Amino acid sequence: MRVLIAEDDDDLAEFLEHSLGELGHVVTCVRSGLEALHFGSVEVFEVAILDRMLPGMDGVEILKRWRAADIVTPVLMLTALGGIADRVGGLNAGADDYLVKPFAFSELAARLAALARRPTIREPQTHFTVGDVTLDLLDRSVKRAGRDIALQPREFALLEQLMRHAGRIVTRTMFLETIWGYHFDPKTNIVDSHLSRMRAKLNFDFDFDPIETVRGVGYRIRTDA
Amino acid sequence: MPERRSSAAYRIAFTYSAGFALLVAVLGAIVFLAADRSFRQQQDAAIAEESASLLRDYRDEGLGDLRERIDAREASHPTNSFSYALFDGAGKRIAGGLNTKPKGSGWHDIVFVDPEEGADPARALATNLPENITLMVAADTEALERIDHTILVLFGGAFVLVLTAGAAGALILGGYLRHRLGRISGTARTVMAGDFSQRMPVSARNDEFDAVSASLNAMLDRIAFLLENLQQVSSDLAHDLRTPLVRMRNGLERALADDAPPGTQQTAIQAALRESDDLLDLFAAILRISEVEGGELIKSFAPVDLVALVQDVCESCEPAVVDGGRTLRCTIEGSVFIAADRELLAQAIINLLENAQIHTPTGTKITIEMIHDEASASIIVADNGTGVAVADHDRILRRFVRLDASRTTPGNGLGLNLVSAIVMLHGGGVTLSDNAPGLRVTLILPRLLER
Repeated sequence: MRVLIAEDDDDLAEFLEHSLGELGHVVTCVRSGLEALHFGSVEVFEVAILDRMLPGMDGVEILKRWRAADIVTPVLMLTALGGIADRVGGLNAGADDYLVKPFAFSELAARLAALARRPTIREPQTHFTVGDVTLDLLDRSVKRAGRDIALQPREFALLEQLMRHAGRIVTRTMFLETIWGYHFDPKTNIVDSHLSRMRAKLNFDFDFDPIETVRGVGYRIRTDA
Repeated sequence: MPERRSSAAYRIAFTYSAGFALLVAVLGAIVFLAADRSFRQQQDAAIAEESASLLRDYRDEGLGDLRERIDAREASHPTNSFSYALFDGAGKRIAGGLNTKPKGSGWHDIVFVDPEEGADPARALATNLPENITLMVAADTEALERIDHTILVLFGGAFVLVLTAGAAGALILGGYLRHRLGRISGTARTVMAGDFSQRMPVSARNDEFDAVSASLNAMLDRIAFLLENLQQVSSDLAHDLRTPLVRMRNGLERALADDAPPGTQQTAIQAALRESDDLLDLFAAILRISEVEGGELIKSFAPVDLVALVQDVCESCEPAVVDGGRTLRCTIEGSVFIAADRELLAQAIINLLENAQIHTPTGTKITIEMIHDEASASIIVADNGTGVAVADHDRILRRFVRLDASRTTPGNGLGLNLVSAIVMLHGGGVTLSDNAPGLRVTLILPRLLER
């Protein structure tokens, strides 16, 4: 997919350009705020990565102008400012996601994938099917091969996130942010411990495990089963 | 210290005494005018009374008797202070010793010739009698002038005295104030020059100056504490950074060596990644603490149900605790609202639970309880592990403090410090106590007042 990167740090910009290129994305990389504003306005990108601090014009301002001009490209904001107030400010300005430097590249890649496939028109989807697993948000039920599976609320939420991003990685921090609302790293393996319980219930009496652990990054539900 | 001329102390003292002296002068003038007026009225009344008494004699007994009466009265001088004169139609004095010219009927201020003192001012009442006779009764105004003079001298003296005493007082008071303030500003200059151990003098009198000095001293203590803290943190940070950096560097150097066995590089890179992640975590923790200590986050406080929050945290952490071979039991019910940042409080409690897992043997029972009264709610996280020596209870709340026993466990010595910072941001406090066995951490948080 087409990705716009606005990042003034040469090392990071080159690293992102190279790594995203290797993943098969078409990357346009700019170093200043005005260039970013220009490219974002005249070309179509599936996702844009904006650094919060850019020479010429900062990321928040660019984002505001794009939104004012009806440019709805999903934006992932990068920042060296890790404060809670900064994060809230960035999301208020209309950023779709927010990542604090330094970050693991796998985290960035997972979030980009999640952003790009966001349906532009939000049709509230209430029913998900992946392989033999179905999840219904309305009656909060999970079935595998037609058999009811009873999950705790948090386990249900974990599975829901996986199925919303079927085939793509959901990182631990993505789980923490969406399900728990935690924007810090709670050393304790909250995500893994809940996920292993959910997984055990889901796989009880089944041979095939549809949930794949991506080491050091997160989890993915397989669509190829 | 400012010049004497621009000194507020002198200005206030001088203005005050000048105002006081002016008041004395005004009072003197009022007394003078009132006394003078009242004395004149009395004198006039006495003259009129004397005159009327003579006229009664004249009416009853005739002119001859009047002349005798006048002579008799004059002879009784000095008990009688009046002077008399009786003039005939030609203006010739036919009785009395009042040496003056005849006047028309009515009140007059005259000058008569006193046989002893010469020309003398007097107050006189002239009355016309039949046959062109004029009676004049006069009283010397000397007494009045003496009284006026006395009043003037008294108040003049008082004015000068007040002015002098005021000026002297102003000098003394101004000097005293300058002295007291001079000591404070002198100390301040010493502190500015770099001697942070200096403190403002505080006397036992406990007056305003002592109150100001005490406040300044408290401020200096606080600044000194922060400075010391900063220095401590800087050196701790340098120490905590150097160790992993050295380890990382050595590992990379070994991997780069020509004779390094195959596969070493991969391992070294992985180790370096881990080390750098730990370092980044350390920075994140430091930034988090300083953000919390900065106090800005109070702005985003909202009413939070502490019970629901703690239950939620327990539910989230329980599987991980169980996976680690320990148990977690949460016995909290009801609802208690506090003004809080939900996420920060969750982080504080998660940190405590994490400590209770890292620093205890497997099989440890961890419990979370709550006690509350009308004003506050206490969350108690307790374990029955090995505990912490009572002497170390206060110490481990501080930044970078890691007890020797925990040198080998993961962590950066910032966990409890962050908990403490978060609870303090919420207006509460953290206390550690012995759970016999194990550690008991109590977070006391102020409750939101019922609306």
